[in-house]
Amino acid sequence: MKKIWIIIEREYLTRVRKKTFLISTLLFPLLYVALIGGMGFIAEKSKETLTVAVVDSSGYFTKELIEAENNIDPSSTLVLVTNLPQENKEEENGYDGYIVIPSLNWKQGNDSLILSTYKSYGSAATGVVESKLNRIWRRLLNDSLQLDAGKQAILGQSKIGLISKNISDQQANSATAEGIGYFAGFLVYFILLIYGSQVMMGVMEEKTNRIAEVIVSSVRPFQMMLGKILGIGAVALTQFLIWIIFVFVVYNVGVKSGTSMGFMAEAVGGIQRMMGSVNVPLILGCFAFYFLGGFFFYASLYGAIGSAVNEDMREAQSLSFPVTMLVILSIAVMTAAVANPTGPIAVWGSIIPFSSPIVMMARIPYGVPGTVPIWQLGLSMALLIVGFLATVWFAGKIYRTGILMYGKKITWKEMIRWAFAKG
Amino acid sequence: MDSILSLKHLRKHFESQKAVDDISLEIERGQIFGLLGPNGAGKTTLIRMITGIFYPDQGEVFFDGKKFDPLVDVAKIGYMPEERGLYKKMKVGEQALYLAQLKGLNKQEAKKKIENWFGRFGMESWWDKKVEDLSKGMGQKLQFVTTVLHDPSLIILDEPFSGLDPVNSNLIKDEIFRLAQGGTTIIFSTHRMEQVEEICNHIALVNKGQKILDSTVQEVKQQFKKHQYLITGVGLDKLIMEQAPFTPVSQKDNSMLIQIAAQHNSSAVLRFLLDQQVEITTFQEQLPSLNDIFIQSVGNTPTARTFEKN
Repeated sequence: MKKIWIIIEREYLTRVRKKTFLISTLLFPLLYVALIGGMGFIAEKSKETLTVAVVDSSGYFTKELIEAENNIDPSSTLVLVTNLPQENKEEENGYDGYIVIPSLNWKQGNDSLILSTYKSYGSAATGVVESKLNRIWRRLLNDSLQLDAGKQAILGQSKIGLISKNISDQQANSATAEGIGYFAGFLVYFILLIYGSQVMMGVMEEKTNRIAEVIVSSVRPFQMMLGKILGIGAVALTQFLIWIIFVFVVYNVGVKSGTSMGFMAEAVGGIQRMMGSVNVPLILGCFAFYFLGGFFFYASLYGAIGSAVNEDMREAQSLSFPVTMLVILSIAVMTAAVANPTGPIAVWGSIIPFSSPIVMMARIPYGVPGTVPIWQLGLSMALLIVGFLATVWFAGKIYRTGILMYGKKITWKEMIRWAFAKG
Repeated sequence: MDSILSLKHLRKHFESQKAVDDISLEIERGQIFGLLGPNGAGKTTLIRMITGIFYPDQGEVFFDGKKFDPLVDVAKIGYMPEERGLYKKMKVGEQALYLAQLKGLNKQEAKKKIENWFGRFGMESWWDKKVEDLSKGMGQKLQFVTTVLHDPSLIILDEPFSGLDPVNSNLIKDEIFRLAQGGTTIIFSTHRMEQVEEICNHIALVNKGQKILDSTVQEVKQQFKKHQYLITGVGLDKLIMEQAPFTPVSQKDNSMLIQIAAQHNSSAVLRFLLDQQVEITTFQEQLPSLNDIFIQSVGNTPTARTFEKN
C-alpha cells in the first residue's frame, strides 16, 4: 500500500510540476467556454432577419396593416403576396419562407399558422414573425370588437406570462438543465479522453524507456498500474478543483463589485438564477463521482492498451479505437438523453457503466428524484463501481503480461486471452 | 552449505514453449554465480521467477532459508534487467530516490545512501541533471547504483557491462567484487564468457529451459578438459615421435601443443620428453575456455526462439 502511495506521488508531482499542467489548467476553461460559446455564437448567427411571404385567404391581413408592422420593427419583414411562392426557389423570389393564412373563424379560435421555411431558424428569428402576426391579429380583434384606445390599453396590460414548471421536481428548469447537462456531459467526455490517453501515454513511456521491468522487480505490476491511474486521476481532480475555486472567487468578486460593472452584474445574476434553479451540491457531488468512476473505467482500459503496444503510436491508436468509440457513442446517447431525459435511451444509457458517466451527468441537472428516480441513480452508481472494478481487474491481467512483452504486435483477441489466462 | 537461494524443480510454461522446464539450483551466500545460456534458453524467465515478477507454474523458490515471498523479499533483491532504462524526464537524484523508496527505504535513509554511492562513483554533480542528458555509460552507472542502493543480499545483474567503457566496466567490476566480499550474493547473466571467467566462481548453463551444467568454473573446466598440454622448450623439433604417449596438435618454434593419448598421463609425457633430452621451460595443461565449453554444449542446438529476446 505504501508503495502505491510512492507511485501516486511521483505520477502526480511530475505532472503537476510541468508547465503544461499550468497552461492546460488556464487554457482549457477558456477553450471550453469558447467552444460552448462558439456553439451559441453559431446559433446566434443563424438568427437572421427573415423575409416572409404572407398569402392571405382571409382578406383581413391587408397590405396597410402589414406595412405598419414592418415600419415598427424592420428586422424581419412580412410581404403580402397573392400566389404561393414555389418551393426550392427562394433565391429567385427572395423569401425565406411563407405563411398561408386560412379564412378566419372569429368564434372558435384558430389553429396555429405554419411558417414554411427553406432552412431551419431559431426561435429568435421566428419570434419576430410571430409577434408581428399577433399584433396584427390583436388589432383586427380590437377593430372587430370596436374597442377604443382605453379598453385596448386595459387588455394590453393583462398579459399573461407563461413559465413552464415541472411539478414533480421543484428545481427542474428545462433550459438551464439542458445547458448544465450538456456542459457537464461534455466536460466528463473531455476529461475521460484527455486523461485516459495520458494514462496510455504514461504506460507506453514506461515500456519504451525500458523502466517497466526495473519497477516490477520492486512492486507488483498491478500496484504500478493502479498507482499511475490514481496519480493521474488526482491530477485531473486537482485541475477540476482549481477551476471550481476560480469560479468561486470570480463569482464572489463579481457579487461585491457587481453593481458597478454591467456585464459582471449580468453574469452574477445569471449564475444566481442558475444556482437557484438546480441543486448545485448534488450536481457537484455526482460530477465528482461520475468523473472519477468513468475515469477509472476508461483509464484502466487505456492503461491496458498502453501496456500491450510497442513504440508505435499508430498501433496504440488502432488498439484504442474501440475504447474511444465507446466514449464517443456515449456522447451520441447523451444528446438523445438531453432531448428526452426520461426516454428509454436516456434511462439505459445512464445505467450501463460505459456510458453512464456522461449520460447520467446530462440527466441529473433535470432533477433528482423528479427526472432521475433514486433507484436509477443508485443502480447506475453501483453498476459503475462494479464496472470499473471489472475493467481494473481486466486491465491488470493484461498489463502484467503486456508490460514485459516487446516486439510483438498485439491484438484485442490476444489481450482478452491474457486476461483470462491462468495464474 | 549456506544457500541464500535455492530453486526446486521450477517450471514455467508459456503458450508456445516450455521456458523453464524443471530447473533446480543452489546458490551460496557470497558467491558470484554465472547464469549462462544462449538466447531464448530461459534465463530471463528464470530470473523473473527469482525476482517475483513471474510466479512459477510448479516448483518452489527458497530465499534465505524461507519460502520466497515476493512482497517481502524483493526488498532484499536488487535486479538490473537486460531491458533497462530510466524515466528520461526525471532528475537523476529524484530518480534514484524514487527507486530506492520503492524498495522500501525511507527518504532520509535513501538520500544518505545515494549521496554515498554518488560520491564513490564521482557522480555528485549529477543530482539535478535530467536523465535524458546523461550519456549511455553514465545512465548505466546510475542504473547500477539504483540496483545496489538498498543493500540487497542478492543482486542479479543481466549484461551489466553493456554500454560501458573499460574504465567504468572496471569500476563496476571492482564494486561487484567488493560487494561479494562483504557477503552479498551476485547472480551474473551474460553472453560474454571472458567476463564470466574473470568474475564468477560458480556457473550454471541453461539451454532450452533445462540446466545442462552446474558447478564451479574450475570443475567445469576439468570436466571439459581435453588433456592437452602446452610445452615450450629446446629440442622439441628433434623429437622422435615413435612410441610417444601423445600426439602433437600444433607446433610453432619451440612450443608445442600436445594431446595426451588415452591410458597415459602427464608424467608419462614428461618422462618421454626428458628421455629425449628436451630442455623444458614450461609445461602447462591447457584447459578449455568457457567460451569453448559454451559452444560445445549448446552450439549444436538451433536458436529456439527468435521473436523474444531472452
